[in-house]
Amino acid sequence: MIEIEVIRRILTSVRSALRGIRSAPLVFVISVTTLSAGLLLLGTYLLIVQNMRGVLENFGQDLKLVAFLDEGATDVDAMKHTLSELSGVQAVLYVSNDTALVRLREDLGRDADVLDGLDRNPLPSSFELSLGPELREEGSLRVFAKQVEGMPGINETRYGEDWVQSYGRILRAMEWLGLGLGVFLMLILGTVIAGTVRLAVYSRNDEIAIQRLVGAGGVFVRLPFYIEGAIQGGVAAAVAISLLYALFGLGLPVLGDILVFLLGKPVPDFFGRQEMLALVLVGISLGVGGAMLSLLRLEERT
Amino acid sequence: MIQMYHAEKRYEGNVYALRDISLTIERGEFVFLTGSSGAGKTTLLRMLFGADKPSTGQIIVAGRNITKMTASSVPELRRQIGVIFQDFKLLPDRSVVDNVAITLEIAGVSRREIRARAWNMLRRLGLGHRLDHRPKALSGGEQQRVAIARALVNDPPLLLADEPTGNLDPDLALDIMDIIADAHARGTTVIVATHDPSLLDRYPHRRLVLDQGRLVTDRAPETYPTAIGRAALPLP
Ligand SMILES: Nc1ncnc2c1ncn2[C@@H]1O[C@H](COP(=O)(O)OP(=O)(O)OP(=O)(O)O)[C@@H](O)[C@H]1O
Ligand SMILES: [Mg+2]
Repeated sequence: MIEIEVIRRILTSVRSALRGIRSAPLVFVISVTTLSAGLLLLGTYLLIVQNMRGVLENFGQDLKLVAFLDEGATDVDAMKHTLSELSGVQAVLYVSNDTALVRLREDLGRDADVLDGLDRNPLPSSFELSLGPELREEGSLRVFAKQVEGMPGINETRYGEDWVQSYGRILRAMEWLGLGLGVFLMLILGTVIAGTVRLAVYSRNDEIAIQRLVGAGGVFVRLPFYIEGAIQGGVAAAVAISLLYALFGLGLPVLGDILVFLLGKPVPDFFGRQEMLALVLVGISLGVGGAMLSLLRLEERT
Repeated sequence: MIQMYHAEKRYEGNVYALRDISLTIERGEFVFLTGSSGAGKTTLLRMLFGADKPSTGQIIVAGRNITKMTASSVPELRRQIGVIFQDFKLLPDRSVVDNVAITLEIAGVSRREIRARAWNMLRRLGLGHRLDHRPKALSGGEQQRVAIARALVNDPPLLLADEPTGNLDPDLALDIMDIIADAHARGTTVIVATHDPSLLDRYPHRRLVLDQGRLVTDRAPETYPTAIGRAALPLP
């Protein structure tokens, strides 16, 4: 019946943790407030990064590389075949110079008459290559573009490189900054929890001494504090997510135009279930980690 | 139940709290530990429940070697030992019954059984009507009875009492001693540290007398009370 005893002890520890929270509610509230502020900051940041990454991926999905042909190039079919054999190329579309001119007219609309004065079609023919995910990353895309340019009959390639590059660079910088911010926050929040737990340990010194006296082992003494830390972390994460969700809902209409500009679409995504769960787990592990930190030097004897 | 072989406890600055103590206490004995203030009574008891280790020598309690014991095996030893103190050491923010329950919670007993057993124990000690009071609402004698209930509720084979009546009026003190004697009668090995002569005179039990950390007298019960004033048994 070992399992039953273990469960009973855990339940006793939970009750003990709850009793601890109830006996010092202010400490709990302050700790949870600090924690959720930190997690809110972290969550906001993650949300931004997540959406920026989403933009890059969306963009990538219709990322095309345009390869312009030399004027004299003739063996279009063979070239198309070669291109489509290259790894990472999903589809190759041939756009003749005539088609290109038609498109240009359509794009220009009412101003299309400026083209009427031309005596010959100035546009080159081209291939439009749809690229697979392995080529959506900036570095490999650049190498690939060079490779295509080196092929006989190809004059030049374009793929919106400036945009992809700078956006990718910003995103990468954000991710690093986020990592730094995350680590920094973890340390601060872990310390906050460690402090609260240490307060709790002090205020329950007598109780611990008596538990030890009647034969409580280390785990029995520590478990309530781990649980208390976990509760703090979990509650704080839940508060942070709710606040973030509320802010998200309130902020969208206000930020609408900026978001369209930044993300290229009006409605950014909120966290999915997995991300929320992850945030809660981060909160809980912070709580337990902080508690462990503060119990590191708890005396085993007496 | 207890064996000590040349056990010593030395604190920093060459302060000896105990010097070269060798003794045996059998299962079921009732032993008084006495001597003037600072003689080492508390120190000796603390080593018996694993709160301290001897500096040298060996101490065996309930088959466990205290000297070699790791911190992680102390709890197991403690579950075999009930301990009571002069100042009761009750938790002020828990009810009487919850104070007694601590012992059983730690032993992993079910909640229902905890309540029933704590209740029974308290009733036996005449506190059946005080279950849900806070310790502060109780008299000193009642508080000590709660502490005894906490110590005995798990039926430990060994009871250690450090000046259990030190804070109590004489008639309450006798009350407490009766309860301890009752536990002894039920088979518990009992060690009571006291320097209260009225208790020593009243109960004809074996007496260990400490003086500045040394065991100077070990007087067996048979020699009492006729042997007052004379050391009946020479020390080994
Ligand atoms: N942690 C310690 N550090 C240094 N000396 C100590 C420590 N604990 C006890 N002592 C010394 O050990 C000696 C024995 O102390 P102990 O408390 O065992 O005596 P006691 O017989 O219980 O006295 P009392 O009747 O006053 O309770 C004393 O001289 C005391 O000052
Ligand atoms: Mg003492």
